[in-house]
Parts: sequence; C-alpha cells; structure tokens
Amino acid sequence: MNRYTWRTFGLELVMIATAVVFVFPLYVLVNLSLRPQGQLVDPLGVHSLTLANYSDAWHQAGLGRAIFNSVVVTVASVAIVVVVSSLAAYPLARSTARWSRWMFATFMLGLLLPFQLALLPLYTTMRDLHLLGSLWGLVLFYSGLQVPFSVFLYTAFLRALPRDYEEAALLDGCSPLQSFRRIVFPLLRPITGTVVILNAIFVWNDFLTPLLYLSGSDRQTIPVAIFTFVGQYTSNWQLVFAALVMGVAPILLVYFAMQKQIIRGFAGGLKG
Amino acid sequence: MRALADLSIDAPERQAIRSGGVLRALRVRTALPAAAASTWWFVLPALALYAFIVLVPTVRGSYYSFTNWDGLNPVLHFVGWDNFTAIVHDEAARGAIKHTVLIAVAITIIQNAIGLLLALGVHSQIKSKYVLRVALFAPAVMTPVVIAYLWQYLYTPDGAINRGLGAVGLGSLEQGWLGDPSLALWCIVAVIVWQFAGYSMVIFLAGLQGIPPEITDAAAVDGAGAFRRFWYVTRPMIAPAITVNLMLSIIGGLKLFDQVWVLTGGGPGYATETLSTLIYRDAFQFGEFAYSTALALLLTVFVAVVSGAQYRLLRRQEYA
Amino acid sequence: MASVRYHEVVRVFGRDQRPAVDSLTLEVADGEFLVLVGPSGCGKSTTLRMLAGLERVDSGSIWIGSRDVTRVSPKDRDIAMVFQNYALYPHMSVEQNMGFALKMGGTPRRETKVRVGEAAHLLALEEFLGRKPGSLSGGQRQRVAMGRAIVRRPQVFLMDEPLSNLDAKLRVQTRTEIAALQRRLGTTTIYVTHDQVEAMTMGDRVAVMNEGRLQQVDTPKVLYTRPANVFVAGFIGSPSMNLQAARLVDDGLWLDGYRVPVGRDTRAAAADRDGAVVVGYRPEAVELVAEDEPGLTAVVEAVEELGSDVFVYGAFDATSETVHAADVVARVPVDAPVARGKRVRLRIKPEAIHLFSASTGESLG
Repeated sequence: MNRYTWRTFGLELVMIATAVVFVFPLYVLVNLSLRPQGQLVDPLGVHSLTLANYSDAWHQAGLGRAIFNSVVVTVASVAIVVVVSSLAAYPLARSTARWSRWMFATFMLGLLLPFQLALLPLYTTMRDLHLLGSLWGLVLFYSGLQVPFSVFLYTAFLRALPRDYEEAALLDGCSPLQSFRRIVFPLLRPITGTVVILNAIFVWNDFLTPLLYLSGSDRQTIPVAIFTFVGQYTSNWQLVFAALVMGVAPILLVYFAMQKQIIRGFAGGLKG
Repeated sequence: MRALADLSIDAPERQAIRSGGVLRALRVRTALPAAAASTWWFVLPALALYAFIVLVPTVRGSYYSFTNWDGLNPVLHFVGWDNFTAIVHDEAARGAIKHTVLIAVAITIIQNAIGLLLALGVHSQIKSKYVLRVALFAPAVMTPVVIAYLWQYLYTPDGAINRGLGAVGLGSLEQGWLGDPSLALWCIVAVIVWQFAGYSMVIFLAGLQGIPPEITDAAAVDGAGAFRRFWYVTRPMIAPAITVNLMLSIIGGLKLFDQVWVLTGGGPGYATETLSTLIYRDAFQFGEFAYSTALALLLTVFVAVVSGAQYRLLRRQEYA
Repeated sequence: MASVRYHEVVRVFGRDQRPAVDSLTLEVADGEFLVLVGPSGCGKSTTLRMLAGLERVDSGSIWIGSRDVTRVSPKDRDIAMVFQNYALYPHMSVEQNMGFALKMGGTPRRETKVRVGEAAHLLALEEFLGRKPGSLSGGQRQRVAMGRAIVRRPQVFLMDEPLSNLDAKLRVQTRTEIAALQRRLGTTTIYVTHDQVEAMTMGDRVAVMNEGRLQQVDTPKVLYTRPANVFVAGFIGSPSMNLQAARLVDDGLWLDGYRVPVGRDTRAAAADRDGAVVVGYRPEAVELVAEDEPGLTAVVEAVEELGSDVFVYGAFDATSETVHAADVVARVPVDAPVARGKRVRLRIKPEAIHLFSASTGESLG
C-alpha cells in the first residue's frame, strides 16, 4: 500500500532512534579515540581533539605490519579458495554419477563440523611442519577451511547454469580444462563475487586460529595485533580506541564502498 | 544418432548447435558424460586441502579423545571413556556446557526477534530505509575482537554505560556488568545481539522482499489488520528465511569464542566459560590435549544433534 | 450492495507534473457493471486501487453508498477485489484462501465452510478445495480469485484486469461467465481492462480514460455511435475508426466528388484555423464503387480475411483540396475483388461521418 501516513512517519522516527542507539557505541569509540590522555570523564560530549593517540597506537601496535599481514593472508587464501572450489564444483554439479554425489556429501560434512575438534591435531601438525609463526600456515589453513562452504555456493550456482555454453565449447574442440577456464569460470562471476566477499570478511576478522598460530611472533594479523596491544595497555582506553578504530577502518571502508554487493552477498549466499 | 564429435565442422547441425537452439533437443547423451568422466580430477586440489585441514585432523581428534594424548609424545595409550567421565565430574566443564547452551539459546531468540522487527521496519514505506540498512548491518562486518574491546570499555564500572545511567539520573541501576557473575553472561549476549541483529535483519529482509506486494494488499482487502497480515500471510511466506536465521544463530552461538575470550576470558571465576573457551584454555594453558579434544568431540556431537533436530523441525514449518 | 461515487478525485505520484488521476468525477449505480478502460498509464488501475483503499487520495472524496470512505482503511470498506495476478496465498489451500476474509471478519467456522462450499459450487471448484494454488492451472486460479471475492458478499466487487493472464480462448469463455455471474449476484462491480472488446461486451456502462482524465462514460452503443472526442473515437472499435485531418470549405466538406453538407453551428464551432477539422468514419462506412463513380482512389497495401469480414488496408494516393492524404481501413464484402497493389475506388457514406475539432478534439455533433 502506498500510504505515507502519520503512522509511517512515526515508524520512521522509531527506526531512526533505534539506529542511533545502535550506532551510539561507535560514536563513543571514535570520540574517545580523539581525546588526549586522562580525559575520560564525559564519553558523550566533544572535548579537545587530538590525533596523538593514533600515531602512538599505530607504531606501538605495529598496525602497519598487521594490516599488511592481514591483506596477504586474506588475498592469498581467498584466491586459492576461489580457484579450487570452483574447479571442484564443476564435476559435482554436472555429473550425476554416484561418486559425484558422495563427494558432494563429503564436502557438505565440513559445513556441519565445528572446527574445534580438528583444532588441536592440526595445530600439532602445523607445529611439526614449522608452519607456526608463518603467514603461509594461515593461508593453508583458510584455504582448506573455507572449501566446503565455497564448494556449496559454486555447486548450487553451477547446477542452475545452462549447459549450452560448455557443450558448444566442447564441440569447438576445447579440452575440459580450457572450457572451464575460458567459458565456465567467467560465467561464474556473480557467485564468485559472493564467495570472495563472504570469505574475505571471515578471514579478515578471524581470531582464534591466528591467535594460536601467530601470537608472540612478529607476523600478526589485525585481530591478534589488537589483542596483544590491548593486553599491554589495558587502562589507556584512548590509546586502545585509536588502535581499534584503525584496526577496523579497512574493513569498514570496504564495506561502505561496496555495501550493496556485500549485503546482497550475505543475504543471497546464505539463503540456500 | 551420430556422435556429435563425428560431425564435420561445417555441418549444419553443428551450426545449429553452436547457436544453442538445437542443443536442448540433442541434450545430454553424448556430450556430458564424457565431460564429467574426464573432469573428475577437478575435485582433487580442493579435496586435498579440505582433507588435510579438516577431515584428517577431525578424525585424528576424535581418536585422540579416547587416548591420553598430550600433543607431543607420539606414544599413546587408549583410555576408553575416561576423558568423558572426567568431563561429567568436572565442575568447570559442566558449567561450560550450561553456559554454552544458555548463550546459544538466548542469542537465537533475542537476536532474531530484534532482527525481524528491524526488517519489518526497514521493509516499510519509510524514507530512510537504505541508510538504515547500511547502518544496522555495519557491526556485522566489523572485527569481533574490536567490538569486544569496545564493549569491554562500555561495561567497565566507570565506562560509558554507567556514566550514562548516572547522567540521566538512573545511577541506582549502575552495575558491575562484566564483573558481576550473575550478569556477565547476559552482557555477552547483549554484545552479540548488538553486533549481529543487522545480519538477521538482512536475511529476513531478503525473505520479505520476495513476497509479492499484491498478496499483502489482498490480505488488507480481506480484512486483516497489520498484525494479522503478518501472522497469517507474511510469516508463512518467509519461513525459509526463518529457518536459515535460526540455524545460523544456534550453530554460531554454540561455537562462540572471540567475544567471550576478549570480554571476560571465561570469568569472573568460571561464570562465563563456554565449551569453546574451555577447550582453548584446557589445551593451551593446562596442556590437557586429550581432555580438550574430548570436550571438542562433545561440542561437535552437540552441534550435530541440535542442527539436525532444528533443521527437521524448521523444514516442517516451511510447508505448514 | 451500494452505489459508488468519485468526487473530483486527484492522485499525483511523487513530483510528477501530470496527475495520475485528474479530477475524476464518476457515479456508479447500485448493481451496475461499470468497466474502466483505457491505454496503459491512463490511471484506471490507480482509480480502482483508490476505491480499494490501497492508494492514497490526494484530494477529492470517494463514497460507497452514503459513506465517505476516503480515509477508511481497506479492511473496513466491505469490498472484495480480484487482482490481476490473483494474489492467492501460496501457503494456504483453496478452501483456506476463499475463507480467509470470513475468518478475519470473525465469521464462525461452520458458516464459513458453508459459504465457501456454495461459492466453490458456483465456480466448479469443489474438487480443488484441498489443493494449493501452486498446483492449479491459470484458469483455475482465476476462478479461485473470483471465489474469494464472491464468498464475502461485499458491497462492491473490484476487478483489476482479471483476464489478462489467460489465453485467448479461455478469456472469451470466462468473460461471459463473469458477466453472467454479476447479473446473477447483482453486486455493484467496477472492472478495469485495457481491452476495449472486453469493455464493450461486458459493461452496462463503459468509462474511457486517458492520461488521468475521464474522456466519456456511456453505454457501449453510445460510445460507439457518438464518441465525444477523437480519443474515444479512435480507441473504441476494432479495427479503429479512420481519422484524417481535413478542411471545411464554404458549403461543406469536400470528399472528392461530393460534398457533405455541414450545419451552420458546426461550421461555427469549427471556425478555428480556417476550418481545420478531423474527419472520422468507421471501416464499415466505406464501400467499394466502380472506377468511374465519384469517390477516392486508394492503393491496397494489405488484405485481412477474417472469415466473416474482410478488411482492406490502403492509402489514398491523391489529395484533393479538402481531404488530405491518409491511410484508410475499409470493410468490404467477402467476395470483393481486392488484392495487394490494386487500386480501388472508395466511397464514404456521408451519413456515417463524424466531425471533430482539430484543436480540442471534441465532437462537433
């Protein structure tokens, strides 16, 4: 119904008020990060502003390096996941043979299993392979961990894709791999977008495994760097907040730049 | 029928095929099984990674939980159910199970209720719907560690919450929040709900947007007011979104680690210890690898049972 | 059952210049079947939805019976609506769909069952009562939508292009069923369509709309024989009326060889821009004559054989002083000697000519 009545206006006010309440903690975060030391008194009002906390936190928390590490891990693992999952999804979606269905079920098992059970054995394996403290151990980890979900998304999408293009490519003399690379994969662009977004956000924000693998080392991702930093500076909230703001700024910037796709990716990818 | 591959490149059938039209009639028989048969190896890279990172360690973990594994010594002794009986007698473990379930259930109910209300509000005719959607979803993409520290501050005895209450004259409501054993768990629940209500909202919104407006119009003409329209028409039609949301919240809630570890570390005392934090603590602070793995197996079984039961229940409501 | 009245109703969307519905005043008598017809975007659906309460009324008022319902919410207007896409509740069975409004109104379950049963019987839906809409064909779904409206015994039925999603044959069949049903039930009905054939065959009266304004409301016969303006003239009737620009001269309208006498008041009314008028005549007002008789020559471009009628599409190839070049559609007898490319001689029956002002489009009598 297209009635913008007084009731609608009332609802609008309520929703805006709710949003303000929601966003309020973030306001406090930014506000206090700009306060000089020792002035925690009024979290709501705006007092003297300074950027000193930011430069201090940047250096002391090693945020520059942490961002770099997070970027490396995220980009590398997402790239690997995209390639191997889309490849794997192809025979799973196209073949109706029994092995294909069993294989798909095997991958789906990973969606159910909480990671905690594999946590310790994998940790010891990584330790024995001297991969702890190295970013590549993490990349390897995420590449394997994200496979089930990504395979699921790709398979669902591929199943709905018409086969005409692949068949034409086959007749034109492409080998299956070439056909996949040149024809099928480009057609997967919409779902690849979703896979990239969902995986990147997860990897970027993940805490437990990097904590296990990287803490104490000089190669920390952002969540771990923040954890270590705050552990050292607990009551200096302004400094901590500056670190928090900088730690979350990259992903928030990406979010605001691409919110439509991101929101669509979450809603669509998880409806299956 | 001649094999497609036998056709010369200029054959008119091939032209037709290339244009896609005839293809559906000629369909699957020759082309696809050949393709599928020769592409089986496509799954290998993914399978290898997945097996190495998830499958093999999981199997090993399940096995170790029945041994005296300490993470170092390759020599193991099978101890049967000992680890599990220890869990039953371990007060910390029993508490952790209770807290885990409580958190998961509380989050599922509260977060989805709020998410649904938000979605209904945003799905209406108001003008700020796009801005609202972006703002309310933003916390869901932020790093949980960051959010946990932020809220830790807010909850401190002279943090923003208590100061705010004092400022509006509600100073009597000030609490120890995270330091109060009876409140700490709910404080954690509040943080999670705050962060992910927007997430639930987005999924509900997708469901709501799939309802043709004509149907709610018809219900209005049929005499249903706002609430009855929602209950009899909207709710059944967003059943899949409800299923997805409930499943995600329960499973996420059971596995929760980051926020709990940062906000309280399981404290005060063991008041907010969950299975995930206990698993971490028992392994890396106390070195009890086998016991910790047994806890992990327990958690896995939990999740499997709850997911299965909930899934079956929810699937039925989709056809109600 | 009640009458319906629109009084100077206006609806403007957003910042549009032109209102979607512009000062509409229309009365529908109790028990009447009124059809709202017009091209896409003319405002007919908006008009219907305002009566349902699904669309805001910017100014003016709407009355059902003696009640001003302009600000009343849809659920309290006691109307039933059949939507273009039926809007059946996909998760409810046919019986639940039809009984939903009664349930909302608090009707006891036993009575609901009885009334749903009656409506189902009337529409031959009894065997489908337990099924869900998804498993029904388009025609069956359409009947369920009708049944949902009938069951309520409302004061007014609203129908928004209910036949547009049916195939042609089913459309014709359902058309007569709906008309018969309405006569039997006697409920005031407002029916929206873009198909003027439907309008002409079903309505007691037809209201033609264009660009938000009501052009003419009359019985089908009057609309056909005495269109009030150029738009109605061209819209009603299939194939459409031939409309050409022309000019009046001293003693009438010259149509190449004979003149049409034109009354003095008509001349006065058309006295703008040196006698420019629009001439209208229907295909059946044109006849084939021999080469040497007075008339107009046309080149045949296409011939449509429809079994009982034959329509010839052509173009006049010479302009006389008073009739300008134009396309023409003529209805000719079945055995007439016409073929593509042939030149034929046509005569327009002077008594069947309509005249319209070239500037306002209004009929000049």
